[in-house]
This record gives sequence, C-alpha cells and structure tokens, in this order.
Amino acid sequence: MAAGEGRRTQILRGVLDLCLLAVMEEGPAYGYEMTKRLRARGLSIVGEGSIYPLLGRLEREGLVETYRAASDGGPPRKYYRPSREGRRVLAAGVSEWRAARDALDVVLGLVEAEVAP
Amino acid sequence: MNEFVEECRREWKRLGVPDPVANEMAADLTVDLEEAEADGASAEEVLGRGAHDPRSFATAWATERGLVQRPRLPGGRGILRRSHPAAAIGAVFALIAIVGAALVISASSSGSRRLGLPPRPEFRAAPGAVWVAAPGAIPRVMVIAEDTNDSGVDTHTVGSVLLIVGLAGSVPLMLVWLWVGPSGWSRRRTHIDDRPSRPGY
Repeated sequence: MAAGEGRRTQILRGVLDLCLLAVMEEGPAYGYEMTKRLRARGLSIVGEGSIYPLLGRLEREGLVETYRAASDGGPPRKYYRPSREGRRVLAAGVSEWRAARDALDVVLGLVEAEVAP
Repeated sequence: MNEFVEECRREWKRLGVPDPVANEMAADLTVDLEEAEADGASAEEVLGRGAHDPRSFATAWATERGLVQRPRLPGGRGILRRSHPAAAIGAVFALIAIVGAALVISASSSGSRRLGLPPRPEFRAAPGAVWVAAPGAIPRVMVIAEDTNDSGVDTHTVGSVLLIVGLAGSVPLMLVWLWVGPSGWSRRRTHIDDRPSRPGY
C-alpha cells in the first residue's frame, strides 16, 4: 500500500464513525444508503474497511437506534439514526476534528505554500 | 454476490452467531448488494476491502456487534483469564523448579551448604547422611541457613529433588498447553461483549 493510501486509511479510520453519524443525522438511512450519501459528498470507501462492522459497533455502544421499514415498496431494510448519546458524541467529535484540523493546517499549510508553484 | 453472502453465513455459523441474527444480517447484506449492483456500483464500494475476504468481513461485523468474543492477542490477559487454573498450577511447579535450581547452583558454587533443622533429640544423623523427610517433619524445614553442625540436609540433594518435582509438574503442563493451544483450555461460547472497543472500523 502506498504511503498516501495508508495515511488516508488512518485518517478515515479515526473519523468514519463521525461521518456515518453525520449522514444519518440528515435522516434515517440503511447501510447502502449511507454509502451513497458519503459517495455523493466525494467520500468513497473503496479500498477501505466496510461500514457494516462500524455500524455494528455504533449499535452496540448505543450511539444509534435501529428500526425496520420497507424502502420504496422494496424489502424491509434496517434503518439507523443517531441516538441522543450518538448526537452528543457527534457534536463532541466534530469539535475535536475541527480543532485538530485547524492545528494541522497551521503546520501543514506552510508546507503547501512553500511547495506551491 | 450471493456467494459472498453465503460465505458470510457459513462463517457466522462457525462463530456461533445465533441463526436469527445471522439471517437478519445476511438479508440486509443481500438487499444492499443487490441495490448496489442495480446502481452499477462495485462490491468494493459497499464492502470496501472486505469484498475480497468474506470470512474476515463476517468476523469483523459479528465481533463489532458484540455477537462473538473479540480475538485476543497470544499472551494477553484473556488467555491468562481463561486458563488461570492450569497456569497457576504450572506457575507453582515452575517456581519449585526455580528454587530447586537455585539451591543446586548455590550448593555447587559454595560447597556443602545445608538446610538447618531444629535438633532432634531422638535422632542424630551421622555425618554425611541424608534425611528423608517424613510428612510430619515437612513443616520443620522452614529456615534456610548455613548449618555449622552435621545434622542438616544436603542443600544439593534438596535442590535436586525440588528441581525434579518442579520439572515433572511444569513440563507436562507446558506440553499439553502447546498441544491443545491457548484456546483449547476453554470451550468457545457466544456472548455479548460489552467492552468499549477501539476507535475505527
């Protein structure tokens, strides 16, 4: 695995749970629907870990609530939405992410300015 | 796609995931994969790296849901917890062997060190004789010290006996442990694992 791909994987691993909570905060979603919402925002999990184990962990930790319902007349699907605790974890996680991103930008932004043509 | 789901189902069965739960997971996965296929999306877009390794994917999903026990690293606390009775017995025998070896080495390096015993008026050992402790006399062997008279027990002999007993007890246990394997000490069972898990997926 190239160094860049490995770094992307590491970064995603740290925030993909927040990304899932964020997309299901827009509205309850089943597994593949969340993949589509992520992809619509330019975030593909191709080459990364699956979202299903992560959804399982979120469910086990009580960060999501689930229910079954038919989707557009199709077979019943398992829908996920953030629980109260999930929304709290999402808010705290987004704050942490923004703080880390800002701090890293201060450091890495300078490097980008130096190597830019 | 169906082959992937069937492989997952077999793995869940092997792991002991209850059938109703496994069926539910398989059904969810099937409809998701069918919808992705209809959208023209690849399996990798749904399953990530797991698309190429259904068994690992199935194990990860069941583990994160808390349906099976999280795999533990060899030598971790989990192994000790599962096998602690045998490990404790093995540790006792190993300790006996270590003490015996230390006595043998000590006796070999410093000459005739002896274990001191309270005087026994009814019996006086001849110089150079070796006592064979009767069960009632075992508590009397409590003080290890340099004995200046001739009524002590040969440290080298005691050390040899302890070394043999320790090895005789610990070596078979170790061989059985290696043969059975760490997981063989206890039967695998399904349970809900409610420990906090590592971040990520």
